[in-house]
Amino acid sequence: MASPGSDGPVADGSAARADGGTGAASEDAAVAVKGLELTYSDGTRAVDGVDMTVPRGEFFGFLGPNGAGKTTTIKVLATLLSPTAGEVTVNGFDVRSDPRKVRESIGYMAQETSVDPELTAAENVRFACEAYGVPRGQRADRVAELLDLVELADVADKRAEEFSGGMKKRLDAATALVHRPPLVFLDEPTTGLDPKARNRLWDYFRRINDRGTTIFLTTQYLEEADQLCDRLSVILDGEIVAEGSPAELKQEVGGEVLEVHFEDGGDARERAADIAREFDPFAGAAVEVTDDGISVTAATAREHGTDLLVALRDAGLTVTGFNVRAPTLDDVFLAITGEEVATESMDAGRAEGEV
Amino acid sequence: MSDPDRKGAADDPSADGGTAESATAGPSAAETAAAGVAGEGGGRSSNTFLGDAWVNFKRWNVKAVRNPFVLVVSLVQPVIFLVLFTEVFGNVAGRAVSDGLPGVSYETYLVPAIAIQVSLAAAVTSGIGLVNDIENGMFEKVLVSPMNRTAVFVGKTAAEVFRIAIQVSIILGLGMLLGAEIETGVVGAAAIVATGIVFSLWFVALSNSLAVLTRDQESTIIGANLLQFPLLFLSSAFLPLSTLPGWIQTFARLNPVTYGVDTARALMLDRDVMTVLEVSRFDGAMNTVVPGFAVLLGLAVGFGAVAVFLLSRASSSDVQ
Repeated sequence: MASPGSDGPVADGSAARADGGTGAASEDAAVAVKGLELTYSDGTRAVDGVDMTVPRGEFFGFLGPNGAGKTTTIKVLATLLSPTAGEVTVNGFDVRSDPRKVRESIGYMAQETSVDPELTAAENVRFACEAYGVPRGQRADRVAELLDLVELADVADKRAEEFSGGMKKRLDAATALVHRPPLVFLDEPTTGLDPKARNRLWDYFRRINDRGTTIFLTTQYLEEADQLCDRLSVILDGEIVAEGSPAELKQEVGGEVLEVHFEDGGDARERAADIAREFDPFAGAAVEVTDDGISVTAATAREHGTDLLVALRDAGLTVTGFNVRAPTLDDVFLAITGEEVATESMDAGRAEGEV
Repeated sequence: MSDPDRKGAADDPSADGGTAESATAGPSAAETAAAGVAGEGGGRSSNTFLGDAWVNFKRWNVKAVRNPFVLVVSLVQPVIFLVLFTEVFGNVAGRAVSDGLPGVSYETYLVPAIAIQVSLAAAVTSGIGLVNDIENGMFEKVLVSPMNRTAVFVGKTAAEVFRIAIQVSIILGLGMLLGAEIETGVVGAAAIVATGIVFSLWFVALSNSLAVLTRDQESTIIGANLLQFPLLFLSSAFLPLSTLPGWIQTFARLNPVTYGVDTARALMLDRDVMTVLEVSRFDGAMNTVVPGFAVLLGLAVGFGAVAVFLLSRASSSDVQ
């Protein structure tokens, strides 16, 4: 699963990839994109010079806030949009000159759940089998196998309109896999799902990837990318602003974020900040005074957070709440671009420990 | 990077290669991959036009059966018309009819019109089906599949036409129960069903065009229903044109419903009933049926071309 080109987090993707996508690498790659631009007919430039190469077998994440150009890019790769400029090959086929070959060799799961509510789960999968030319003799087995994979075998003969959002998503995922495509595109597959449904989907995606399928996933949640992806590209306003493994991107942020709240005034917060800065385990951590307390970003925030709380109590400060959280996409963007980006938190209640 | 102003659908196979090297080198690598995957699962049969059309024909038939409400409702209104018109207007209208067509009962006169009304009502649901597909993502799902896009719509339309054939047959049966007579027998009945099908095509195309333009279920239903009644009443459907005001006669001349109803009625009565076009090259009823079919086919081609244009534009999205 060696990724070609630079492995480090790179602030300017286009410069790093200038020579990376040529030759054998791009022909071998599941996805090879060079200089992709897409301008909608109303003049909106949704994608502006994206380069990327996804090697076969990789679990690749395409991370960015709403409106960054993720869906536009994935639709170009899936032949739903024709690029304004640039070279795009998917499984070795050019999306412009060979769209049929591309469509035969990919699975695609759109952002909006796409199932026929009037058909049963089994009928939805069977329709996909027929649409993708799964040989007649194998269809029944394939339908059973996929419904089993997404744990919908019990409701195979129920109509999809009766399903919950999570069940519909799972059914949608099953229909994208009928022809055993070597490459699957998943466009924000877990947006709007509850944590349990999301974890189940993650599990299926991992299993599919383990079978050797390349996965191209878009998400606005760093946590999701962190859980699943081997490598990430971060897109902002149509341009790639960073690339690397999830760990590398989080390094950009400098660890996890410990937030401590106090009931006392600004004086107490300043004192607490001083204590945190002098706190040995957090050497080199970024400490900031916030509206109702302090925030400490450190690689060891989770392990030594409680020690800091003890130290604060010993100093006579009243802690009213604390919270250790993984760095979010906002933190990554803040670290990379220095700009605040409006994103939703994936799970506000996670890892929260109010005292 | 080389062609910044390439336009249009990814589908266009003529989109040339500034990418000659990758195009020649590509397939081998990709076919290896496809074969590798096929190895575990056992290949795929390639898509054929008829196969793709059949798959979609089946899907839309299943959906129609799952939705008996739609089936029934699109039949109920015409049936109500058939019963109410013959019972309420039968005496009055019957006299107007027999002035021009001696010996023809109002039931017999009306049944072809109701058959055409059924085609019209059923054709509305075609656009509704398309809007639903766009809304629940199936439209895009089909576009991203390797199925032939024309075959997809041929299959869907075939399913709707199949349903129209059944519904028109039901109306003919009901009409006969109410006392209508088909002079031309079984062959004529089959020809009336065929008329209903050919007639429905322009309205199927129109309702699909509305669906693509509005992308909204209610707008499509309202738009198509608004058209339905003026089209029916401002035609030869319910009364002979000679009994109607001059402006209606003028409108009826331009109204596709007139050609559909006249064709079906000529088959029903076995005589030349068309008054909007005077053709006398053929024998009897054929003087109506031949020009009638010609006009309906022309309309189908014209409206069909617009619908195909709008659909292919919707399939490739608005990209520069």
